[in-house]
Amino acid sequence: MNLAIETENLGKCYRDVRAVERLSLRVAEGEIYAFLGLNGAGKTTTIRMLLGMIKPTTGYAQVLQTRVRLGNREPWESVGYLVETPHCYAELTVTENLEVARRLHPGTPHEAVGRIIERMGLAEYADRRAGNLSQGNTQRLGLAKALLHSPKLLLLDEPANGLDPAGIVEIRELLLELTREQGVTVFMSSHILAEVSRLAQRIGIIHKGRLLQELNIDELEQNRKKRLLLRARDVVSACQVLIAAGQPAEIQKDGSIELKNAAAVEHPDDINCLLVKAGTPPTQLMVEEEELELYFLRLVGMDGGLQHE
Amino acid sequence: MNNLSDMIWIEWRKAMRSRMPLWTALGSLFMPLGIAFLIFVARNSDISQKLGLISAKANLIAYAATDWPAYLGLTGVIIAAAGFLLFVIIISWVFGREFSDGTVKDLLAVPVPRSSILAAKFLVVAVWAAGLSLIILIAGLITGAVMQLPGGSIGVALQGSVIVAITGFLVIVVVLPFAFFASVGRGYLLPIGVAFLTLIMTNILALAGWGEYFPWAVPGLLAQGKSALTLVSYLIVFLTGMAGVIATYLWWKYADQNR
Repeated sequence: MNLAIETENLGKCYRDVRAVERLSLRVAEGEIYAFLGLNGAGKTTTIRMLLGMIKPTTGYAQVLQTRVRLGNREPWESVGYLVETPHCYAELTVTENLEVARRLHPGTPHEAVGRIIERMGLAEYADRRAGNLSQGNTQRLGLAKALLHSPKLLLLDEPANGLDPAGIVEIRELLLELTREQGVTVFMSSHILAEVSRLAQRIGIIHKGRLLQELNIDELEQNRKKRLLLRARDVVSACQVLIAAGQPAEIQKDGSIELKNAAAVEHPDDINCLLVKAGTPPTQLMVEEEELELYFLRLVGMDGGLQHE
Repeated sequence: MNNLSDMIWIEWRKAMRSRMPLWTALGSLFMPLGIAFLIFVARNSDISQKLGLISAKANLIAYAATDWPAYLGLTGVIIAAAGFLLFVIIISWVFGREFSDGTVKDLLAVPVPRSSILAAKFLVVAVWAAGLSLIILIAGLITGAVMQLPGGSIGVALQGSVIVAITGFLVIVVVLPFAFFASVGRGYLLPIGVAFLTLIMTNILALAGWGEYFPWAVPGLLAQGKSALTLVSYLIVFLTGMAGVIATYLWWKYADQNR
């Protein structure tokens, strides 16, 4: 398996602040890898180290099998990136900004500018000064600059920032298409698990500079807490029936009964039969998955009182 | 150097699309026109009496520029002092704006050597500053002719113009280190602050008689026709410019870019 990104014990300290610690990542070619963390978790510092903008204090990074060093020219001809808020030359038009980006990537044909303008839905604004663009269109321009030279690897820091829901879906489809049809690798950071879970094949969760967990998207489903919620006309009787049958049932504040054990979650039909036979049939039966945001907050230890109790 | 022409195109386009060329051209025109105005005031006693403090300044300028050689010398001094500040603003904008506008990150992970990107920036600054020096010189020549200054001849104008041109060139060289201050300060404030400090130091050191060893004082001394300047003075100017270019390159190549 060829790796598009490989880091080994990558770390960055600013005096006493450890922005990133002992980060070892492997991102395979053609994969969409989401790097998830709260604000200040170390996502942007990691991306800047991967791009050779910041020198690591410890460890190293390899991008497209090339060791990243400060000020080097390789391997950037095959890398597109968007770091933090996209910025552009406000006095230049959208086309001129892209022409600047084209000339910064020698070998990119002239036609690429027109093509990416069409693809990113910027045709209407092609001759507009970039300083007059909306936040969403500035984000599109930033993505257009990253995609202009048909890179093999995309490093995108919060790519959905500032986009409206239609724009988010559009960018998601575009990234999926790029990986599916052109084998492009995408390494993207985000602080919204629900957003990346629709796109990424693998997710790395970073908190306070440390990689807490790496998981495949199906592992994410398995790891999320599940519970069976049910309602009945006589909640107290139904709960007593379940407890008598050895089920750890609890009555919730909203009057529903909660069962968190795996047997109940995996076989709600058995619970239904049990209650029906006891003469307290359920009026509602529902398996509920822990919300992605709660799962994320639970992982980073910031769930407070939000998690399912 | 690879891709230099593309990088020059980029820098030139950025500069020309901004309002900076217009403002700096107006700023450079203001200097010779201002002097012409003060000489005009000094020559007309009616106006001079009404203007009070301006009149005193006008008399001072008129005293310093009684004929063509003195007037052209004064033009050179203007480039050495006010031109210096104007060129610092230009170099601060060309380098510092990348940081204050957040666009520097788009120049860092690209397959173009940073030396090409920086060389293009320095070249554009040099051409821009040279253009402004030319504007100051031409405007000075025209206003001098309009005022019918005495002692003029083609030879005098040519000799004065050459000194003004050399002064302009030396100012451009001593302004190069301000690219480093704009980069380290990630904007405009540090280089402009250092420029004012440099002007103060220039005056103090020139008065103390050490001006010929202080690179930022050398252009002014040349314009004034001071004979104290030696080859060492010019070497110091050249080394200062080179040090500025090298420091800027090393900073762009090796400093953490976390903004």
